[in-house]
Amino acid sequence: MRSIVPAAAALAAVLALALAAGATAQSPDQKVVLTVGLTQDLDSPNVTVGELVSSFELWNLQYPTLTDLAADDLSTAPGLAESWSSDDSGRVWTYTLREGLEWSDGTPITAEEVAYTINRSREEEWLNHYSTVQNLTAEATDERTLVVTSSVDDPKLPGLSVYIVPKHVYEEIEASEIGKYAALDGVSAGPFSLKEWKKGQFWRMEANDSYWRGRVAIDEVVFRVFRNADAMVAALRSGELDAAHNVPAAAFPSLETAEGIEAVEGEQGGFDYLVLNSYAGQPPRDETKFDAPHPVLLDLRVRQAIAHAIDKETLVERVLSGLGTPGTTISPSPSPAWMPELSEEETYEFDLEQANQILDDAGYTDTNGNGVREHEGKDIVLRYAIRTESEYSKPYAEFITGWLKDIGIDTTFSSYDDGQLIEVAGKGAFDAYVWGWTPFVDPDPMLSYMKCDQISVDASDFSNFWNDTGLCDPEYDALYAEQNTELDPDRREEIVHEMLTRWYTNAAYVVLATSPDLQAYRTDRFSGWVRQPAEIGPVLFSNSSPSYWSLEPLASSGDGDGGLSTAAIAAIAIAGAGALALVGWVVLRRRSVEERE
Amino acid sequence: MTALAWGRRKRALAQTWAEYRRDREGMTGLLVLGGFVAVALLAPLLADDAQLSAVNTTGNEVWAPPGEHPPLGTDSLGRPIYDQLVYGSQVSLLVGIAATLIAIVIGTVVGVSAGFFGGWVDAVLNRLSEWFLVIPFIPLAIVLAAILGPSLRNIIFVIGVTSWPVTARLIRAQVLTIKQRLYVERSRALGASSLHVMGRHVLPNVAPLVIANATLTVPVAILSETVLSFLGLSDPLRVSWGSMLEDAFSAGALGREAWWWYLPPGLCVIAVVLAFTLVGRALEAILDPRLRAGRAG
Repeated sequence: MRSIVPAAAALAAVLALALAAGATAQSPDQKVVLTVGLTQDLDSPNVTVGELVSSFELWNLQYPTLTDLAADDLSTAPGLAESWSSDDSGRVWTYTLREGLEWSDGTPITAEEVAYTINRSREEEWLNHYSTVQNLTAEATDERTLVVTSSVDDPKLPGLSVYIVPKHVYEEIEASEIGKYAALDGVSAGPFSLKEWKKGQFWRMEANDSYWRGRVAIDEVVFRVFRNADAMVAALRSGELDAAHNVPAAAFPSLETAEGIEAVEGEQGGFDYLVLNSYAGQPPRDETKFDAPHPVLLDLRVRQAIAHAIDKETLVERVLSGLGTPGTTISPSPSPAWMPELSEEETYEFDLEQANQILDDAGYTDTNGNGVREHEGKDIVLRYAIRTESEYSKPYAEFITGWLKDIGIDTTFSSYDDGQLIEVAGKGAFDAYVWGWTPFVDPDPMLSYMKCDQISVDASDFSNFWNDTGLCDPEYDALYAEQNTELDPDRREEIVHEMLTRWYTNAAYVVLATSPDLQAYRTDRFSGWVRQPAEIGPVLFSNSSPSYWSLEPLASSGDGDGGLSTAAIAAIAIAGAGALALVGWVVLRRRSVEERE
Repeated sequence: MTALAWGRRKRALAQTWAEYRRDREGMTGLLVLGGFVAVALLAPLLADDAQLSAVNTTGNEVWAPPGEHPPLGTDSLGRPIYDQLVYGSQVSLLVGIAATLIAIVIGTVVGVSAGFFGGWVDAVLNRLSEWFLVIPFIPLAIVLAAILGPSLRNIIFVIGVTSWPVTARLIRAQVLTIKQRLYVERSRALGASSLHVMGRHVLPNVAPLVIANATLTVPVAILSETVLSFLGLSDPLRVSWGSMLEDAFSAGALGREAWWWYLPPGLCVIAVVLAFTLVGRALEAILDPRLRAGRAG
C-alpha cells in the first residue's frame, strides 16, 4: 500500500511547488535584476532553427540588426548602420556602419561580419532569415561600408532587420552541423548575452558592456518559465517577478485593478488559428518517414464544413474572456491595412446546419447511426493535439471538438509541449490543433510561411519548416513572388489581399481570433517601459523589444510586500490537506499494525 | 458434498457480515461508498451530460458562484460544477475498480504461482515484483501514460500493471503456509494435479485475503487516477475529479478564489478514498487470518 502516501503527497506537493515555485532567487550584492515570467520555454537558442516567440526575445536581446525598428511605429531606424543610401535603380543599397562596434568578447563588428550573415543565411536558407535575404547579396567594401544588392525590386529595403550572428563563432560550424549547434556561446552585440539556460526552468542573460547604445541600466535579466500561468500571476503580485508575459485572460481583469501593477493589452497582430493537416503529396517527401493526414481533410468541402462549424464570437467571449476579436483571414503584420475585407459569400459564417449539409452533399454520411460520419466504411476520427504550454488550448479544444461532434466528426487527443508539437507537426502526425502566430512588421515573412517550399520534407530534421498545414497552393506561391518584388505599396497591398483571401478560402487555417499579448509589469521596480508600437503594443516580446534598453531601476525597489498571495495560501491549504491525509493514513496503518502484533 | 459446502459458506458469510456490522468505521465507510456508487450509477438521472460540453453551456454565466448558478456554480466555460462532479464519480470509481481488478488478477496469479511452485519460478517472480516495488510508482506511471497516450483505457492499464506487487507478496506468503497444511499433502498423495490443488485448496484459502487487499488497492488506484489526470495524462476531455482539479488549476481558479470549482472534487476524492480504506480495513481485520487471531470476538 505504499502508493497512497506518494500519491497523496505528490498531488499536494505538485500543487504547492507549482504555486510557490522558486520563492528564493533574490539578487545578491545589489545587482539590478529584471525578472520576467513566461509560460513558454525556448525551443532553441540557435537562430537557424528556433521558431518560438520566447526564442525571438532571446535573439532580440543578443543579436544586433543592420537596421532597427522604431519603438513607436516600427518604421526603419538606424541599427548597426547609422545611415544608408541607394543608387538610381533602387536595387543597390550602401549602408555605413557605426564606429567602434564590438561583440561582447571584444571582436570588432565590421561590414564583413554583417555580409557574412546575409550571404550565408541566403545560401543555406536559414529558417528565420531566408524570406528577407532570399534576393540579396552583400559585400563589404571597407570596414564600415556594406553594399547590399537585390536581384529584384524589393519593397522591404532598406529595412534589413535580420539577426546578425558572430562570424568568428559561426565560421567554425559547417552547414550540415549548424542545425545541431547549441548556440550557448553567449557572444552578443545586443543589450544582453545569454549566460545560462536550464531547460523548462529559466534562462539568464547578463548585460553586455560593449552594446552600441551603451551599457544598459540592468545588470541581469532572468526569464523564468512557469508551468502554470496562475502561479506566474501570483509571483508577479508578490513581487518575485517584475513583469509577466502571456498573462491568462481569466486573471487579466484583476491585474488591471491591482495596485502597483500595470496591465497591458499589447496589439501587434497576433492571432490564434485552427490548423487542418492538408498535405496532399506536394512537394513530395519520403512517405515512410512521415505521417499522413486523415484523408477526408484533403477534401476542400470537409475543411469548409469545419470552418462553418466554428463560432468565433463564442470562442472570443468564452475562451479569451472577451479579450480579442473574432478572426477572419490571417493577419500578416501589426498593421490591419494588410488584411482584406471579405465579402459575405466569401465568409464562412458559423452555421452548423450548413456545415452538415456540405458534408451530406459530399457523401460523408452516418450509415450506422452512431452519430459519427463514415469515410470508406470507417468512422471519421481526427487526431487533435493539445498544447500543454497554453492554458487556452484545452478550452479551445472543448468548444471545437464539441462543434465537430455536432457535424458528425469524432476526435482523439494527445498533449504536447511546444517543442514536441513542432516535431509532431513536422512529421505530419496530427490532423488538427490550435496555435498562434505573431507577425513581423513587413507582411513578407508571414506570407512566406504558407508557401509550398515551407512544407516539412526533411526527414532528418522535423522542425525545419514553417507551413504546418502541408497545403501547397502554387497560385498562392505565384502571388507571393509578385508582391515580393512590387514596389508600389497600393498594388502590393492588393496582391496581399488576394493572397489572404485565397488562403482563407482554402480553409486549411481557420483563424479563430486576433488576440492581444496580455502582459503586466510592476510599477514599483523599474521605469521606462516602452510599448511597441506606441500606445497599443506590448512592452515585452515585441518586434524589437526596446523596453530592455530603456528601463531604469527605481530607487526604492523593494523586494515585494512580503505578504502571502491568495494562491500561496491556497497552495499551503492544499499541502496542509495532503499532510493531514498523510498523518491520517499513518495513524490508520499504525493501528492496523498494532492489531497485528 | 456441494450442498454441504454451500451451506458452510453461507454460514461463514453470515458470520462475517455479523462481525462486519459490529465495526462502526467499516459500516460508515460502506454507507459513504454506497452513496457514491448510487450517484455514479444514477448519474444520467441526477445530472445532464449535455451540460458537460462547453458548446451547450454558452447560455450560462461563467465563473458563477453557487449562489448564482445552484447548486454548485459554474467553471470558466460556463459548465455547471454539479454535473461534472456527478459524472466525474463514474470515471473515478470505474478507474479505481477496473485498475484494482487488473492489479488483483496479476497479483494473485503471480503470488500463487510463486508460493506454490517455489524454486526458480518463485525466484524469477520475486525478482520481478521486487523490481516493480522499488521503482517509484508515480514516475513509472507518468512515463507509461505518456508513451501509451492519454485515454481512460490506458490510465486503467497503467495503474493496474503498476500496483500489483504488494498483493503478490502478501498472497505468496499466505500460499507458503497453506502449502504445508496436511490436507494439501493428503490431496497430493491421492494423486491430485497441481492445478487441482491450486484451484480447490489454495485459491479458496487465499480468497479472503485477496478481497481485503482489493478493497485497500481501490483507494490507491483512485488517487493515482486523480494524480495522473491532474498532470494531464488522462483523456483530456473526459470529466473526472482529477481532470476537474486540473482544469481549475490551469484556468486560474485558485487565483480567482473560485473555491466552488476545486473544493468539491477534492472533497469527493478524500471521501471515497477514506470510505474504501475504512471498508478495506474492517474486512482485512475479519478476513485476514493473521489479524483474526488477535481479535477478541
